[in-house]
Amino acid sequence: MKLLLGLVLGAAFGAVLQLSGASSHTKITNALRLKDLTIIKLILTAIGVGLLGVHLLDLFGWANMKVKDLYMPGVAVAGLIFGVGFAVTGYCPGTALAAAGEGKPDAWATVFGGLFGALVFAFMFPDLESLLISFGQYGPVTIHGSFGVPGLVLAVPLGALCLWLAFKLPDPGGAR
Amino acid sequence: MSDLQPRQSTRSPDSTVAPILSWWAGGLGIGLVLIVAVALVQPIGVSTQYVVLDGVLLHQVLPDVANQSSYLSEIAEGWTLTTYEFFFVLGIPLGAFLSSLATKRFSTRCVPGEWITRFGAIPGGRLVWSFIGGFVLLFGARFGGGCTSGHMISGVSQLAVSSLIFSAALFVSAIVTARWLYGDWGKR
Repeated sequence: MKLLLGLVLGAAFGAVLQLSGASSHTKITNALRLKDLTIIKLILTAIGVGLLGVHLLDLFGWANMKVKDLYMPGVAVAGLIFGVGFAVTGYCPGTALAAAGEGKPDAWATVFGGLFGALVFAFMFPDLESLLISFGQYGPVTIHGSFGVPGLVLAVPLGALCLWLAFKLPDPGGAR
Repeated sequence: MSDLQPRQSTRSPDSTVAPILSWWAGGLGIGLVLIVAVALVQPIGVSTQYVVLDGVLLHQVLPDVANQSSYLSEIAEGWTLTTYEFFFVLGIPLGAFLSSLATKRFSTRCVPGEWITRFGAIPGGRLVWSFIGGFVLLFGARFGGGCTSGHMISGVSQLAVSSLIFSAALFVSAIVTARWLYGDWGKR
């Protein structure tokens, strides 16, 4: 039952990525080149809806939260590395899978490259762990947690801000 | 209102590229998938499953080598793919495959348009760089403990500090790299 739920939710996710152009190399590349902000607007909308929905669930105790550990500067370095790969391939780990499902051979190449990169990381992990991951380890910190306020107090204004920005950023059809 | 007409026609010069769903519908859809996932199981995530598949495949071929890696044995727990998490990730290409068929967008084009304009239409070059990009991408994702799904969508929605830092660093580096790669610096 849980497997089926996973498959269905994943398929819904993949279908939305494909239908909204989030798995399109052209759309992602032009978003990163700041030429067409459609994908940025889409991500801001997703985060805005997510912020409100997740913290509303949490208010009733229905949210299964899973907050990732903070380690500095490791997480920032990792983000910088990820960004380079993102720009070079034009896919992220999820959208590469969606684009692969759409039949794109270059997305398959990204998936295979990704499998290889993850494997290399797995074997470098013992060395990297002491150097960068356990260094500056703060555990699963959240913004509202460190202020000691309920999540919704911050999620409402920040979610509204994300949605407002999503609507305010230019459409590709607008100012070029 | 007279500018509506030309705007409409310049919006999608190539009708096969223009998405079916608008940005707000897509964003809403992703947000809803996240909310349902958080309510029923846990936040969404993709990149861990690359490690799980690696681990399970390696365990098939070279069980000793796989067992030696504490990282692999911990993440690919029990060396099995029949988990909720893996099936979620398996669903992504399946859903995209079905929706691309339904909307007649399934295509095996190898070199995307932007890439052709900048680097030419040679499939080999695109495939090699796509592979290298994927390598760097997953190396960074595993190092950071998540990707666009786990950190940016799920993590930022939970107000996780780690995810905000990862996402900010990701965007800065991706924008700088993309603009350099496609030669946008200097020209206006």
